[in-house]
Amino acid sequence: MEKYFLDYDWTVMAPELIILAAAALLSVIDLLLKEGGNRRLLGWISLAAVIGAGVVAAQQLGDPAYEILSDTYRVDDFARVFKLILLAGTGLILLGSFREMDREGKEARGEYIYLLLAALLGGMMLTSSADLITLFVGLELLSLASYILAGIRRKRTDSNEAAWKYVVMGGVSSAFILYGMSFVYGLTGTTNLYTAQQRLFEAYNSGYEPFVLLSLFLMLLGFAFKAASAPFHMWAPDVYQGAATPVTSFLAVVSKAAAFSLILRVLLGTYLFLLQAGPWQELVAPALLVIAAASMVIGNTAALRQTRTKRMMAYSSVAHAGYMLVPLAAVAGAMLFESTIYYLIAYLFMTLGAFTVLMVVERETGNEHLASFAGLSRRSPLAAAAMTVFLVSLAGIPITAGFFGKFYILIHAVTAREFWIAAVMLVTTVVSYFYYFGVIRMMYFRPPSDGKKVPIPAGAAVVILISLAGTLLLGFLPQWTLDFLGQMDWMSTLSPVRDTLGQ
Amino acid sequence: MIEMNGEFIAFLILSIMAIGGAVFMLNFVRVVHMVLSLAFTMLSIAGIYVLLNAEFLAAIQVLIYTGAVSILMLFGIMLTRHRDQEAEGVRPWHKFFSFVGVAAFLGILLHTLYRTPFTEETADVGRFSVDWLGETVFKQYVIPFEAVSVLLLVALVGAVILARKESKS
Repeated sequence: MEKYFLDYDWTVMAPELIILAAAALLSVIDLLLKEGGNRRLLGWISLAAVIGAGVVAAQQLGDPAYEILSDTYRVDDFARVFKLILLAGTGLILLGSFREMDREGKEARGEYIYLLLAALLGGMMLTSSADLITLFVGLELLSLASYILAGIRRKRTDSNEAAWKYVVMGGVSSAFILYGMSFVYGLTGTTNLYTAQQRLFEAYNSGYEPFVLLSLFLMLLGFAFKAASAPFHMWAPDVYQGAATPVTSFLAVVSKAAAFSLILRVLLGTYLFLLQAGPWQELVAPALLVIAAASMVIGNTAALRQTRTKRMMAYSSVAHAGYMLVPLAAVAGAMLFESTIYYLIAYLFMTLGAFTVLMVVERETGNEHLASFAGLSRRSPLAAAAMTVFLVSLAGIPITAGFFGKFYILIHAVTAREFWIAAVMLVTTVVSYFYYFGVIRMMYFRPPSDGKKVPIPAGAAVVILISLAGTLLLGFLPQWTLDFLGQMDWMSTLSPVRDTLGQ
Repeated sequence: MIEMNGEFIAFLILSIMAIGGAVFMLNFVRVVHMVLSLAFTMLSIAGIYVLLNAEFLAAIQVLIYTGAVSILMLFGIMLTRHRDQEAEGVRPWHKFFSFVGVAAFLGILLHTLYRTPFTEETADVGRFSVDWLGETVFKQYVIPFEAVSVLLLVALVGAVILARKESKS
């Protein structure tokens, strides 16, 4: 029996609908407000919407998987957890950037907020769909909004350059993804990931093996661009540097998490049969491992030579993309979803915290050179202490969130018997100590250029505290999060929803 | 062995036109010429769609790509500085490596496509009518359809933000 529009329970879509409604409402309110008036109200409404959506998504955790209109919308625990990560990231960015956007994007404050919400909506659609068309539309919604956000500081040439580079590179990667998807559709005649998997399996066994692999590798090329992993990371440093700092943190955290959800969803939903058929071990896993290793090596070594903090963080985020690709590459390991998501959560807190401190310092000194951190321990002891925790966590030193994140990924890689990638990970982690500790040395052992205090706005202070709490809690009590993640029904990601199989 | 019939000759002409337009677009110096050769490519692709029995897609291709997109580009060029010529600032080895990369990619694609010929029967395309298409879009794909409308709104807002004049400066 075919199910129609109103036969479905649309309340499962509440988080998306809240964000959509908020974005629409804000764009109307923005029109009605006086020009040059205070836009603080918009920020609070958006924050309330993000929190509301987060609460709804959190309440749905543990519910059975549900799909609408043959998987064009699909909500399972995988989608809910990723959605919570995206919402938490966006909420913290909004909270931390109230003051910043008043200053940076004077002429586009309202637009900044609802573009951020639109990008978030795109990201949420990416997490909760098992249909190529919805996935692609969500990806483009996220990308398009990000391009505009990167170029929102119109008067600055580096912001224009960032937006321009991002559009061109993003367009190319979308073209690759689309080309790969067109092969999938051509072979299977469906856009549903699970049906596609069955039919790709048949196609694979009846002699179309090269096409199956071609479609996978074309898509992987595009995905690697979107997740900013080497050797397709060229855009990241310029875009991260040119965009306003809140936008940079959005790209580094929310965009990247959404890209990873897309990679996991498509690879596990459509190509997992290659694991039994053989080529996963021979071709796919080595390709993913090479991308991961290249990201770690290039990201960590290039970050050593940076003198601007945002470029350094960009290369560091390339390296972290490499770490996060390891669990998927070593898919046979013990804790695929748990280690990826644990790392993403840890990455969310430590990166957002570091970017918020960076934003505060950047505003005070007016530049983003490493030297602007000199003597921060005297100008703002709390910010310096928090930054130290974030950097130590990014470097992966016990007892912090980053350490356990890397530890679980290592366990996963070792149980999958991928020893060399574990070795690469350890070596590059040690390399990364040099540049993270460079910042710490700057903060504690260099005299400040002037003795002025660095004031921290209330919003930014709250974000720094939440991130600090998150980083330390994940470090001291990793078992809590791991138990929580262990209760999720990850396997529902891999198969279609039961009661609609008969369609 | 390829059969020489009208369809094949039409395909040959159309594909040569499409590829020729693309090559000219890359090699022309003036921006207006580039847009015109791009429109030419789009039109030839519409012809290929007709050959594939996708008449609706061909009509859309002509309306949107050959018509709207090209005209929009021409307007954009005319309203801005249209006498711009591309500066030759690219390092030679850069060009060389791009060429090698693209050639390798083309080689892999062609190798894959020609190594595995399609032996299956062609599917019956008779049922792919316009009303069936409409029904699919508004029944099964209504969620991505709505998302596309948000996408267009974002693009519109973005264009306004990036292109509007300063209010006071």
